[in-house]
Amino acid sequence: MPYLVAAYVVIWLIIFIFILTMNRRLSALNDELTALEDALRHRESR
Amino acid sequence: MLSHRVLTVLNLAAAVSMVGAIYMALVQAPSAINLTETERWAQRIIYFHVPTAWLSMLAFFVTFVAAILYLVRPQPRWDILARCSAELGVAFTIAATASGSIWAKPAWNTWWTWDPRLTTYTIVLLLYIAYFMLRGAIEEPERRARFASVYSIFAFVSVPITFMSIRWWNTIHPVILDPNEDFGLGPGMTLAFVFCIVAFTVLYVALLANRLRLEYTIERVAALRARLLT
Repeated sequence: MPYLVAAYVVIWLIIFIFILTMNRRLSALNDELTALEDALRHRESR
Repeated sequence: MLSHRVLTVLNLAAAVSMVGAIYMALVQAPSAINLTETERWAQRIIYFHVPTAWLSMLAFFVTFVAAILYLVRPQPRWDILARCSAELGVAFTIAATASGSIWAKPAWNTWWTWDPRLTTYTIVLLLYIAYFMLRGAIEEPERRARFASVYSIFAFVSVPITFMSIRWWNTIHPVILDPNEDFGLGPGMTLAFVFCIVAFTVLYVALLANRLRLEYTIERVAALRARLLT
C-alpha cells in the first residue's frame, strides 16, 4: 500500500506542479495583457 | 488558436477521465493473484506508470513530427508545438521513471538497476533535457528553432530504441504493451489498463492545448508591447 500511495503522489505532484506553473504564468500574462490593452486604448483615445 | 470553449471542454474531459482512471485502477481492476499483499498493491502502480511512459513517448513523437514540419515549412507555430510537447514529454518521463522506481522496490527488491529499459529511458530523459539546454544557448529565434528541430529529430531515435529495448535485449522489465498476450495482464485488468491509457492521452491533449494557449498569450503580450513602443 505505501508504494502505491507514494507512486500516485509522485505522478500527481508532477502533473499539479506543471498545471500550477502554467496557470501562474498565464494569470500574470493576462494581467499584463489587460494593462497593455488599457494603455493602448488610452493612447488611441487622446 | 483554440477557442476558450474548446479548452474548457478539453479540461473537463481530462478531469473526468482522470477521476475515471483512478476509479478503474484502484476499484474496478481485480487484484493480481500469486503475489504477496505488498506486491498486489504495488502492481496497481502500472495503471498509471505505463500511461505516463506512453505519454512521454507520444509527446516526443509530436515533437519529432513538429520538428520535421518546421524544417519543411519554417513557421514559428511548429517550433512552439515541438517545444511545448517536449516539455510535457520531460515531465511525463520523470513521472514514469519515479513511479517505476517505486514499483521496482517491492517487485525487484531494488529502487534502481541498470537494466536496458531503465538505461535507455534515462538516456531519453537526458537527451530531451539537453534539447532545452540547446534552446537556451541560442539567442536568435530562427536559428534556435532550426537547430532545435534538427536536434530533436536525432534525439527521437532514442524513443523507439527504448520502446523495443525490452524485446531486443535480456531484461527484467515486463513486456506490457503486447496485444497478442492480452497486454500481459490477467482478464479484467486489460479494461482498466486500456481505460487509463486513453484517459492519460486525453490529459496530454488538454495539457498541450493549455500550454499552447500560454505561448499564444506570450506572443500577444509581446505584440502589444511592440505596438505601444512604436
